[in-house]
Amino acid sequence: MKTPASHAVRMALIMVLLSAALFPIYWMVVTSLTSSANLFADRPQMLPDPSQAFNYAETFAKTGVLLWLKNSAIVAVGTMVLSILLAILPAYALSRFTFRGKGLLGFVLFATQMLPEAMLVVPLYAIFAKLLLLDTLGGLILANAAFTVPVITWILKGAIDGVPLEIEEAARIDGCSRIDIVLGIVLPVVAPTLAAASVIAFFHGWNEYVFAQTLVLSQELRTASVGLASFVGELSTPIHTVMAIGVMYTLPAVAFYLMVQRYVVAGMTAGSVKG
Amino acid sequence: MASITLNHVAKHFGNKVAISDIDMKVEDGEFLVLLGPSGCGKSTLLRMLAGLETATSGEIHVGGRRVDQLPPSARDMAFVFQSYALYPHMTVRRNIAFPLIMRQFKWWFHIPLLGGLAKRRIERSPAVSELVEKTARTLSLTEMLDRYPRTLSGGQRQRVALGRAMVRQPEVFLMDEPLSNLDAKLRSAMRAEITRLHQRVGGTFVYVTHDQVEAMTMGTRIALMRDGVIQQFGTPREIYTSPANTYVARFIGTPPMNLIEGRIEGGMIMLGEVSLPLPHALAAAARGAGRDPVLLGIRPNALTLAAPGGQGQLTGTVSLVEHVGAESVVAVKLSHAATAHDEEGAVPGEIMITTQGYSELKAGDPVSVVPDLSEAVLFSRSTGERLRAGLALAA
Repeated sequence: MKTPASHAVRMALIMVLLSAALFPIYWMVVTSLTSSANLFADRPQMLPDPSQAFNYAETFAKTGVLLWLKNSAIVAVGTMVLSILLAILPAYALSRFTFRGKGLLGFVLFATQMLPEAMLVVPLYAIFAKLLLLDTLGGLILANAAFTVPVITWILKGAIDGVPLEIEEAARIDGCSRIDIVLGIVLPVVAPTLAAASVIAFFHGWNEYVFAQTLVLSQELRTASVGLASFVGELSTPIHTVMAIGVMYTLPAVAFYLMVQRYVVAGMTAGSVKG
Repeated sequence: MASITLNHVAKHFGNKVAISDIDMKVEDGEFLVLLGPSGCGKSTLLRMLAGLETATSGEIHVGGRRVDQLPPSARDMAFVFQSYALYPHMTVRRNIAFPLIMRQFKWWFHIPLLGGLAKRRIERSPAVSELVEKTARTLSLTEMLDRYPRTLSGGQRQRVALGRAMVRQPEVFLMDEPLSNLDAKLRSAMRAEITRLHQRVGGTFVYVTHDQVEAMTMGTRIALMRDGVIQQFGTPREIYTSPANTYVARFIGTPPMNLIEGRIEGGMIMLGEVSLPLPHALAAAARGAGRDPVLLGIRPNALTLAAPGGQGQLTGTVSLVEHVGAESVVAVKLSHAATAHDEEGAVPGEIMITTQGYSELKAGDPVSVVPDLSEAVLFSRSTGERLRAGLALAA
């Protein structure tokens, strides 16, 4: 039973949690619009100063942020597309087929998540050097996808498990081949999960730092995460520039999430079978 | 022509025998009901016909063409699932049109946008749209063509599933308990609708159910199954009036046929201490039993209740009275005769009698029961098989 008091407590709790989550972003925006003189003032500036908007223009002009964002976008979208493409069929196979070593395969997929990226950097570097994948965005996409494919495979497997087998059988009788069923029936039914998996892969590619720092050497192939870190100097760090880049780095990711979030809703299978 | 012939069809799951050597011929245009309890293999048999399960051995022919090696889509059969199995991401129109779209499907239909346009083009083509709309009209779905399955009621979803089957105009319709998810009233309405559909569209129907009312009212023939074996294959009337064995006798009919233990002695049957003269047909059948114990199978409506004390009557006490509207079902515990009802929950020595109207009897009342042996059948006590005059003579 909802009482006004419990509603108020609930709202207050939500506000506190939201503030905790959103304050760093707000602080990033405020700092990016703070003059150099005020950056280290005793009483920090709590509101953004619109007159400092030129800081963004300067950042655009003096840094390669647009190029970095473009590279990040290529890596993120590439990681997302490659991961989804590579995960669909194994996820379907793990969900629907019985074969020798199925349990082991599932475990091994999970086990890849136990290895930290940093541990794999050196062997990956050696392999990429031999395969001429060093210093290419394609190589970076491949390295990122190696980490996202197992996760996405498991997520999609879980969703496919929930698709009633009768729907597939109906499709077989209606004339669908196995691949027709996967592409035309199963994937549209698990579309919300597919969208969620895309978000995971996209953000992994967008945020990734260790591989981007190690496997890509050229300035013009730098991703935004590496570009952003390059401002952190031994003696000084232009905080407001870093924050301005931080804002620009965050916005496309937010836009992507807003674009796909409407698909990340449950209930697509409702009504297909009695349940 | 779509007669279905099964030659020695069997299905094993590992060591478990799901279907054991079935031979059966279903004539073109028949409405065959596969009836039986859960786990008897009726759905497995239907799925083998559809091609969703492969037969371990044997052959399946449809219209003279061997189909057991063919994929489901090449068998020209439509399948209606118990759970509807509609495509949730498609409208009712697309669900119904889907089998027709698949007939013209090309690999590049998988390309996003391009494939969507191509499928829409097929869906809107005069041939397909007319057929879809005609089917929708038949099933009163016209208003719902642009809705999604999740917005429909159970009965409407089942009608969409029927529409998807009808639109293909297949030679054979396969239905796996299509009404079991509906409430009693809707089930009754849909039962009549499917029967009308069979009369209207023709074709051979194979319908799986565990509901004997559906089987008796819809089927032109019934195959009653148990543990992967067909117990009896015949018309509803044959199965009701001439059950092949005690299992069929007890499965069909509500309440089921009473089985009273007895002995044959010179043209008479001894039921406990009561001796009753056998009619000519039963006496001929009884000759094969010799002095072996038999079971008298008699339907509850062939037994009449009388005041105690008359000749040729079984005596007992009323143990339960159920009033079912136009008739009453009276359970009587026999004093001197035994029954052979071995189902779970059956009370030893208790028989069921149906009487017209509202019975004023109550539990504990002593009663006499008069059997009408002209409607009775005899079974072997040891094998449970029906004793028949012809077989008795042969034996």
